[in-house]
Amino acid sequence: MAEVRYEAASRLYPGSEIPAVNELNLDITDGELLVLVGPSGSGKSTALRMLAGLETVTSGSVHINDVDVTLKPPQDRDIAMVFQNYALYPSMTVAENMGFALKQAKVPKEKRNELVREAARILDLEPYLDRKPKNLSGGQRQRVAMGRAIVREPQVFLMDEPLSNLDAKLRVQTRTELADLQARLGVTTVYVTHDQVEAMTMGDRVAVLKDGKLQQVDRPRTLYSRPANRFVAGFIGSPAMNLVEVDRQKGGFSLGGVDVPLNDETTAAVAAASGSSMTVGVRPEHLALGSSGLAGKVTVVEELGSESYVHVSVSHQGSDEVLVVRSGGETDIERGDTVHIGFNGPMHVFGTDGERLGS
Amino acid sequence: MATAVISHEEEVRRLQRREGWKRRLPILPALLFTIAVTQIPFLFTLFYSLTDWRIDTVDPRQFVGVENYVSLSGDKFFLDAAWISVQMTVMAVMGSLIVGTGLALLLDRKFFGQGFIRTLLITPFLVMPVVAGFMWKTQMFNATFGVINWVLNTIGIDSIEFATKYPLASVVVVLIWQWSPFMMLIVLAGLQGQDASVLEAARVDGATAWGTFRQITFPQLRPFLELGTLLGAIYLIQVYDHIEVIVGGQPGAKNLPFYIAQRSIGGGNRFGLASSYSIIVVIASIIIANIGLRVLSGLLEDNS
Repeated sequence: MAEVRYEAASRLYPGSEIPAVNELNLDITDGELLVLVGPSGSGKSTALRMLAGLETVTSGSVHINDVDVTLKPPQDRDIAMVFQNYALYPSMTVAENMGFALKQAKVPKEKRNELVREAARILDLEPYLDRKPKNLSGGQRQRVAMGRAIVREPQVFLMDEPLSNLDAKLRVQTRTELADLQARLGVTTVYVTHDQVEAMTMGDRVAVLKDGKLQQVDRPRTLYSRPANRFVAGFIGSPAMNLVEVDRQKGGFSLGGVDVPLNDETTAAVAAASGSSMTVGVRPEHLALGSSGLAGKVTVVEELGSESYVHVSVSHQGSDEVLVVRSGGETDIERGDTVHIGFNGPMHVFGTDGERLGS
Repeated sequence: MATAVISHEEEVRRLQRREGWKRRLPILPALLFTIAVTQIPFLFTLFYSLTDWRIDTVDPRQFVGVENYVSLSGDKFFLDAAWISVQMTVMAVMGSLIVGTGLALLLDRKFFGQGFIRTLLITPFLVMPVVAGFMWKTQMFNATFGVINWVLNTIGIDSIEFATKYPLASVVVVLIWQWSPFMMLIVLAGLQGQDASVLEAARVDGATAWGTFRQITFPQLRPFLELGTLLGAIYLIQVYDHIEVIVGGQPGAKNLPFYIAQRSIGGGNRFGLASSYSIIVVIASIIIANIGLRVLSGLLEDNS
């Protein structure tokens, strides 16, 4: 049972001028699975390692259960970590790997074996307890790394891209298993990934980082429907949101010569903003192909079976912009066709500073 | 049809044979040379060891069978030299392994001037054995000019004739000095092959620094330590130069190779007997080398 709190926590690497993690403020509630997501170099792993005690916090503080652990070594934080490459002890068997932390804590052998067997049962690792890590498959190694963490019953689980070394199919399967296991154990978990699909499907809440700065932290659905800025809008969602630069004008915007109205609240926010341009974002499912509307040429058709994504090149402010439109499966549209795009859903508008304007 | 099939198979066999020779041919000169310079002298030695050949008498060389070998068990000088050999090899290997591991642990972290320090630490291994022996004998051990005695004198201790008083220890110290860099390089390779996140995992799991070394680093280093031990032993069992230079012919530090030389070309002139000693050393070395190769192949399998 633990809450985790980052208070203006920063990590500045010696010789660097820009902090890898910049004044991170984050409250993680008890039992929550919080996902830190961002592109590489965003500081998400560094933030996790600061919580683990493997990375020095150069300013600010980190708290577990209202205890300031900023200066405590990893072994005094009661945390368990799953590493990207699993970091299993190569000279030890699966059972020894899983019991290692308990052995360091001087837990009696009998109790230790019992706990290891229990964890092995949960993770279907019982037949492999006497094997060495090198004789296991990738998925099995991943489960051993998980087992090593859950055996300890720690305050917090830290997971650093634990699924990135698995093949695509196993990753999807393990993803749900892991989220389910976390919910059952009810242990507060901080989970790092660069994969926004993983973040969206697993996280109770998702924190998006970029260049060491927290961009937005919210429930996956809110991140998707109300991105706080242009970066989050483009990062969350697959395929990505269509983002187009347009002139700032009253009441709506003009895209490729077609005027699109905005709702009242957004209109007011746009009117209050500064700058001559703004960015408009529309998700592919909020665009539709029809008989009238913005005309464009099809450049690519991605058929996914149940649906398809049509890439349409439209002429806008003297250059070509590609808009991705979601369409039904088994479409007859082909590359080179001329199509018309209609707008039928929420618009996201971002000011020149990238921040969201309006609701 | 039938003849066509057979000729096809023959063609394949011919091609395979030619492929085999293509691979063998380039190493053939080196192989022949090695056989010429090692195996022919070895066969001569084997033959001499079965004779009573000595060059200081006019008696003709006579075949005596295994008599030389039988006499070894009662030869006090031979047994002494064999015992010195064992002591010297074990102490020098263990000593250089411990010092080398310590240096490797210190070098396996980032600090300013790391590359320079590493190069400096390797240099003793690059010094010629005879030069190393002379350097230690005159500059370090010498009772009048030696650095060690100068240090002892300044703290009020009388000079000690190290090479005379402690001949075996003196030779072993120099051997450790020369061989520690070799062990250091082997252990360093093992340390740098370690996965950094494994050590981090151990920290998160609550292991102390010593606990991490004992439970994780050391088991991973084991094959490297075994390799170092065996390669070191194969070389150090044949030490001659250091003994010759530092302690010369005086008793207390004569190992088998030195004794062999003394009994034959060094004035003893008993070539038949000395040859039998050599055969014993060769057999001992082959046994060690065999164990060594097995360890080495185990190491390579582990990494694949």
